[in-house]
Amino acid sequence: MSGIKAEDTKRSDFDQIGKPILRKEDVRLLRGKGVYVDDIEVPGALHACFVRSPHAHARISGFDLDEAKAMPGVIAIVTGHEINGWTNGLKLAPPIEGLQPTEMTTLPVDKVRFHGDPVACVVATDRYVAEDAAELVLVDYDVLEAVTSYDSALADGAPLVDETLSSNLVSHQKFEAGDIARRKQEAHRIVEASFAMQRMTHLPIETRGCIAVWDDGRQHLTMHIGSQAPHPMRSALAGRLRLGEQQVTIASPDVGGAFGQKIIVYREEITVAALARHLKRPVRWREDRIENLSASLQARENTVHTCAAVAADGRILSLEAEILEDFGAYCFYPANYLARVIGMILTGPYRIQDYAFEVKIALTNKCGAGPMRAPMAITSLVMDGTLDAVARELNLDPAEVRRVNMLRPSDLPYTMPTGERLEDVTPSECFERGLREVDYAAFRKRQTEDRGRKVYRGIGICNVVESTTYGSAFYKAAGIPGSGHEAAWVKIEPSGAIRASAGLMGTGQSYETPFAQAVAEGLGVDVAQVDILLGNTDIAPYGMGARGSRGATAGGGTLFLTALDLKAKMLDIAAALLGLNSASELNVKGGKVLRHVGGEWAETGLGIGDIARTAYLDPLKLPEGMQPGLEMHRAWDPPQMTYSNSAHFCEVTLSPATGEIAIDRYLIIEDCGTVLNPLVVAGQQQGATVLGIGGVLFEHMIYDESGQNLCGTLADYLIPTATEAPEIEIIGQHTPNKRTPAGIKGMAEGGVMGAIGAVNNAVNDALRPFGVIADRQPLSPDYIRRLLRQKV
Amino acid sequence: MSRIAFRLAVNGEVREVFAEPRKLLSDVLREDLRLTGTHVGCEHGVCGACTVLVDGKPSRACLIFAIQMQGREITTVEGLTPDEGLSPLQQALHEEHGLQCGFCTPGIITTFEAYLRENPDPSEDEIREVLAGNLCRCTGYGNIVRGVKKAARMLRDGAAQ
Repeated sequence: MSGIKAEDTKRSDFDQIGKPILRKEDVRLLRGKGVYVDDIEVPGALHACFVRSPHAHARISGFDLDEAKAMPGVIAIVTGHEINGWTNGLKLAPPIEGLQPTEMTTLPVDKVRFHGDPVACVVATDRYVAEDAAELVLVDYDVLEAVTSYDSALADGAPLVDETLSSNLVSHQKFEAGDIARRKQEAHRIVEASFAMQRMTHLPIETRGCIAVWDDGRQHLTMHIGSQAPHPMRSALAGRLRLGEQQVTIASPDVGGAFGQKIIVYREEITVAALARHLKRPVRWREDRIENLSASLQARENTVHTCAAVAADGRILSLEAEILEDFGAYCFYPANYLARVIGMILTGPYRIQDYAFEVKIALTNKCGAGPMRAPMAITSLVMDGTLDAVARELNLDPAEVRRVNMLRPSDLPYTMPTGERLEDVTPSECFERGLREVDYAAFRKRQTEDRGRKVYRGIGICNVVESTTYGSAFYKAAGIPGSGHEAAWVKIEPSGAIRASAGLMGTGQSYETPFAQAVAEGLGVDVAQVDILLGNTDIAPYGMGARGSRGATAGGGTLFLTALDLKAKMLDIAAALLGLNSASELNVKGGKVLRHVGGEWAETGLGIGDIARTAYLDPLKLPEGMQPGLEMHRAWDPPQMTYSNSAHFCEVTLSPATGEIAIDRYLIIEDCGTVLNPLVVAGQQQGATVLGIGGVLFEHMIYDESGQNLCGTLADYLIPTATEAPEIEIIGQHTPNKRTPAGIKGMAEGGVMGAIGAVNNAVNDALRPFGVIADRQPLSPDYIRRLLRQKV
Repeated sequence: MSRIAFRLAVNGEVREVFAEPRKLLSDVLREDLRLTGTHVGCEHGVCGACTVLVDGKPSRACLIFAIQMQGREITTVEGLTPDEGLSPLQQALHEEHGLQCGFCTPGIITTFEAYLRENPDPSEDEIREVLAGNLCRCTGYGNIVRGVKKAARMLRDGAAQ
């Protein structure tokens, strides 16, 4: 009955999977009846407000809380001196060579490390009063010199961000495969290139926030909080609060976007929970936008230098990459967590075996960094950008250089130099299709003609191999702590009502609908009959949450397998009710049990309701030895890694006078395997691509040289609006993965990777007549003008 | 600061409010009147999530004190939603997958309910120009634009009948 294997579930005649079903969650959200964390009413809740450091780096020499405490309505004001006594700190010391172990208390008591670092928390009867009182809290600081860039952090005599470390170089690893020195001797040319992404932030339109409700009778904490990964958050929060895991419930309501920012439990949330327990009253906190911009996780800010040994035809003989990252002031994740994945998958869809990378991560006096939608986003820019550099230096066509290096179908499955295995991907098919769709030769002709008229067009190509679903084996191979498995349950109640759950929480990814499709497909029912319950740790099974692009494969795949197991039980019951020896001729479709007789599927008169009633209320009719009830629970660990792939093509026009870049066309050819719901997949691809475009052109979290954050409002930190976002054309040519349930691969980050590469490469193509290269993002008009002025 | 009593006309009803004069309209709607469909995304008037209609015109509820709204007619997303089902604009956004996390959606609905009343047949560029006042981090905007276009068509067809 149980034990259906992922690879046995390929079918092309899906009934529920693959349909463009409109989203179940839409109706409540459109009617204004979604419930986000700040919409939850908790009688008697107190309001928290944090006091934050105005300095990037300073010793805390004292607090004066008297005036603030005297304000009517103020219930409590605490600093790290109290909070750290009630909570455990965060120690990160995974056994990774070259990674310095780090440890932090819940709130800093000795010194602050970035502008926005929380140092005290005010609790009052009203949010307005809490904010007023926070302004009256006096903190004495002795300002220290701040390090605000990768280079200054690693300079001789640089002040230490974390004084327990030997230097600000918090992580340093090297990898080498093949014989780089030899390949360099054999090379026709050595081509070097640089790429840099700026500091960014996730910017969910709903900021963070939480409500901590302590039940003093049951000694139990309920934490209402938007969370991508409720169970890992529960484990962490319980540990930090010195509670048993059974004493904590994470209840995630609707979430207004996250993009990686709502995975970990933050210091503010631990403080709020500790205060609720201490005060024995509910405490709630809503993060302001300025707090979100200055003190919620930030991301990117990495630089990659490549050195390629190439043959005369543009073939890459060897590739070296130096990956540098500014990780900010605190390690909320192991510092190698993000950059290492860049190193692992950098060679992407290209045939390279002689490969080396070095990863160096520095701490600085800026907000801590973490994964943001496509944490490895720079990967495809670096690889395809390096190929463009090769094309420029050898005066070859960029498409031709890609072609000579690209994995052919006959090269697959292909083991990358890092040991990562590529299979069931179609990079050359997507790339060639894209060249045809954009009519590449015609574009080049148009480009040449238009340059004569001083119209500067460029085309950028970016071939993406997107790591989507990380199996446990990947974490182990990469030396990163974690598991990639997922768990699900599916229940059919006595009335025939169907509910299912998995350990991921959606924050806009539309999980409720495609997950219902996966369950409906597995059971043989209509999607409308399936309710998906996510986000509450007392209801959902322990899972690893929404991270990477694992939702469809890990979440949908595990639910599909669980539903198939449950269908097998239903069919055994049906066989018993029909007096058959075996269920082999039976199936369920549309909620009805069908029997294969004489080459046709005929109704048996039994439906899911009959089986459910029997299973719960008439168990003596069940096959001998079968347990009553109709529910199934299982877990599944995906293969080491699943990959989707895509080819991005971007056409731009550059205005040399203003530095402005107009995107004229944006096309994606994508293979993301079996698609659960094409409407949802297109939505994810469009959203990811525009998020990537925002990163290339606009977004920039700016700190000045003293470490002051200069982006405190949405008028400073610019994301694309509807007038900047281009139309995204998407052509799917999907091929299933052979090792996953139903052939699902996953997607939702490749759009970011592709856009970051395709737009940057297009701009450099347009800049070609001027002899300059844009090698750092964002490609703001200001930056482009600076490049052009240098040349003139 | 002490609270005072005043009246607000919201979604066709007169509501009694007892709040501090400094309390924002967005907070009074959400906390005092429990109309939580109006979302707060930035509290400085950029993101557009808190957009409500004041005498029929889109306005940022986070930039207005509630007490200033005496004598005005406030309309929130709840007031633009039929008792059952969805309005044509909501239905069109649903069909075009014009929302993902849904947090910015109420502000887009209020904005375009007003806009389409005065501009029943907008071009794509015109829709994008207006939509630029509402930030969305999920969709990339294309499906919202298609949803608004479809809604305009549905509303025109409805009016013609």
